[in-house]
Amino acid sequence: MKVLLAEDSASDRLILARLVSRLGHTVIEAEDGTEAVDLFRETQPDLVLLDALMPRMDGMEAARQIKALAGERLVPLIFLTSLSGAGDLARCLEAGGDDFLVKPYNRVILEAKINAFNRMRGLHQALSDQRDHIRRQNQQMLDEQRTARRVFDNIAHTGCLDAPNIRHHASPLSVFNGDVLFAAQRPGGGTLVFLGDFTGHGLPAAIGAMPVAEIFYGMAAKGFGAPDVLREINRKLRRILPVGMFCCGLMVEADFKHNSLRVWNGGLPDGWLLRAAGDRVAIPSRHLPLGVQEPDQFSASMTVLDAAPGDWLVMMTDGLPEAPNSGGESLGEEGVLSVLAGLEAGQEPFEALLERMQQHTGKPELADDLTLCCLQMVRAEAPEAMPDKIPESALTGPADWRCVYELREQTLADFNPMPLLLHICMEVPGLRSRSGEVYTLLSELYNNALEHGVLALSSEWKTSPGGFSRYYQERTRRLGSTDGHFIRFSLEHQPREGGGTLTVVCEDSGDGFDFAEYSDTVMQQQSASTGRYAGRGLEILRRMTRNLKVHGRGNRVEIVYDWWFPDAAIISGA
Amino acid sequence: MNDKPHLDVEALAELQDVMEDEFDVLIQTYLADSRSRIDGLREALATADPEHFAKTAHSFKGSCINIGAPRLGGLCFEAEQLGKDATLEQAPAVLEQIEAEFSEVARRLLNFGQEA
Amino acid sequence: MPIETRRSDDGKTLTICVEGRFDFSTHQSFRDAYEHSEPTVSHYVIDLSDTTYLDSSALGMLLLLRDHAGGDGARISIENCNSDVRRILSISNFEQLFSIR
Repeated sequence: MKVLLAEDSASDRLILARLVSRLGHTVIEAEDGTEAVDLFRETQPDLVLLDALMPRMDGMEAARQIKALAGERLVPLIFLTSLSGAGDLARCLEAGGDDFLVKPYNRVILEAKINAFNRMRGLHQALSDQRDHIRRQNQQMLDEQRTARRVFDNIAHTGCLDAPNIRHHASPLSVFNGDVLFAAQRPGGGTLVFLGDFTGHGLPAAIGAMPVAEIFYGMAAKGFGAPDVLREINRKLRRILPVGMFCCGLMVEADFKHNSLRVWNGGLPDGWLLRAAGDRVAIPSRHLPLGVQEPDQFSASMTVLDAAPGDWLVMMTDGLPEAPNSGGESLGEEGVLSVLAGLEAGQEPFEALLERMQQHTGKPELADDLTLCCLQMVRAEAPEAMPDKIPESALTGPADWRCVYELREQTLADFNPMPLLLHICMEVPGLRSRSGEVYTLLSELYNNALEHGVLALSSEWKTSPGGFSRYYQERTRRLGSTDGHFIRFSLEHQPREGGGTLTVVCEDSGDGFDFAEYSDTVMQQQSASTGRYAGRGLEILRRMTRNLKVHGRGNRVEIVYDWWFPDAAIISGA
Repeated sequence: MNDKPHLDVEALAELQDVMEDEFDVLIQTYLADSRSRIDGLREALATADPEHFAKTAHSFKGSCINIGAPRLGGLCFEAEQLGKDATLEQAPAVLEQIEAEFSEVARRLLNFGQEA
Repeated sequence: MPIETRRSDDGKTLTICVEGRFDFSTHQSFRDAYEHSEPTVSHYVIDLSDTTYLDSSALGMLLLLRDHAGGDGARISIENCNSDVRRILSISNFEQLFSIR
């Protein structure tokens, strides 16, 4: 060790210096307080022996300055003194001394004290090193999380959370507190929203979130509905998460065309449907969280709710009801309900809930683990070609092809062919930016064939207010007996100069209708009819296609859909 | 009155052991130091500076304790107290005793050194 | 001790009592309670009479026990829940996996 010795008496200094160097340490000598401080700064000793009374700067002041210079380093400081009053000794300690050595200097005592302090120094150093090590590792973890967050963002992106009818709040690092919030426009119109809360937090929670994001956005873009996405998410999480980890979630499929919502809640606090008319419907958790059950036991059954433009859907993770106030009490689900019950006409639930949170916690900033999303029902918009997105695959595709796909019997009830048929069409590069239109065409044809053809449902119900849930119930019931039925799609695509043409023929085994009679009704733009098409459906098809033909008994519909390359469109004046 | 011994022979023997071939240097240093401290005490009296008197006496006391001159150390302690109480009337007498005792200590120390 | 176990006389039922907070800190002792139990145990009883609080890591621990005890074939009952604990179990619909009394 390097020992700094400050003693003004030359003979005493000689004795002590010798005693210390015989113990094997290096001695640095100072004659007074000022010199002691200077030498301390220069040589950075490990231990200091300091005479209490010295000329120029006295021991106490030197001690204070030396301790200040030492900072976080533990440098033991032992006062040398022939002072014997307890009061004087106490003052030494107050000045920063750690111990004192009384004259005459006794080598045994000196050795004992030096060794004891050396051990203490060693311990302190080890602790400091460990603390620094932990600090560095923690910083590294934070950096890794930041990187993981960027990867996650590229997979998850915000989808359509920025749509005008969606309000949301999530912490910037929410994926690491286990919360996820995804929203996507479905190709045929409507919105899919998923709110999730993974057990645990940090990287393990984030790792679960990434595949779920890919599944959600991938399937939504392909036209899959909520039940299929839920089943796939459950299957994936069941497989990859260790037993004991799971994801509580709430899935919403909003259908603006039919003014209806389908919801599924597995483990999250109650969601709420706030109708503009003033009534409230709770959406409680009815299912086990995702990732717990085997696929064959998992239930994706959804609750259907009628919802009209202006109605709000509110969903949250437990961070909101469980946020503590200064007394440690949480707002609770009752607290949340009281905010929703107390809303004034036209007041938005999102702002009201956040304000209540700030009041409750007494803090202006919102807690890290609070995720809230509110979706407002709006009128359906006509599907437009979506702006040219970067195509998901860089592969080129087939331009000249034909395929037939027929569904029969029980499969009609069990399997929705939309995503598959859309996928086939999306293989054509030129159709990729038109997935919305193509999906709409295919699903109008399919829904007509299935619901009005095979199941013989009347579209009257569908369009009456509050009727969609009844319609849906009946639809589910009739799907129980599809024996003897079929739906056949024939798809054909041919390249043309400047673009291409997609021809779709849809046939079904249901009863037909008198097209000639029906077409008059349609021209008059009546929405109610006993015939097959709700007038709107036919209009949509007419508007988007070059040609629409209804053959046979009305159970064979053919559409011809043209598309052009962007530059070609300008040239051909289309 | 002070009936402490002039020299603590055991302590000195130990110092000899510790200092080894530097023992003589130590003795010389102590003697030189002490002379200048005595000068300092005289000066303090001359200028009637009780604080300086007390501090010098305190330092002197310390080195006497370390070297093993208990009686001299005791006298220095008395001088220190006088200085702290700022009653310097009896100080000259004590200073004389200190000087006398110091001569004795010095003589014995030099002999001790030679015997070693 | 936050976790105590009792075995029935016939050795077939293992009762695990959790005292205080059933959260991440009880993880290891909860596992120890059932992992080293005799193979004759066919029924588990989780007694929560003294449990004040239950969080999602406790739900995870229950799932781990269920997996250890045979998954779908496991017989596990959760008993004497206070209202807060009951509410958490019911939001997660755990009565679909455990018998809750």
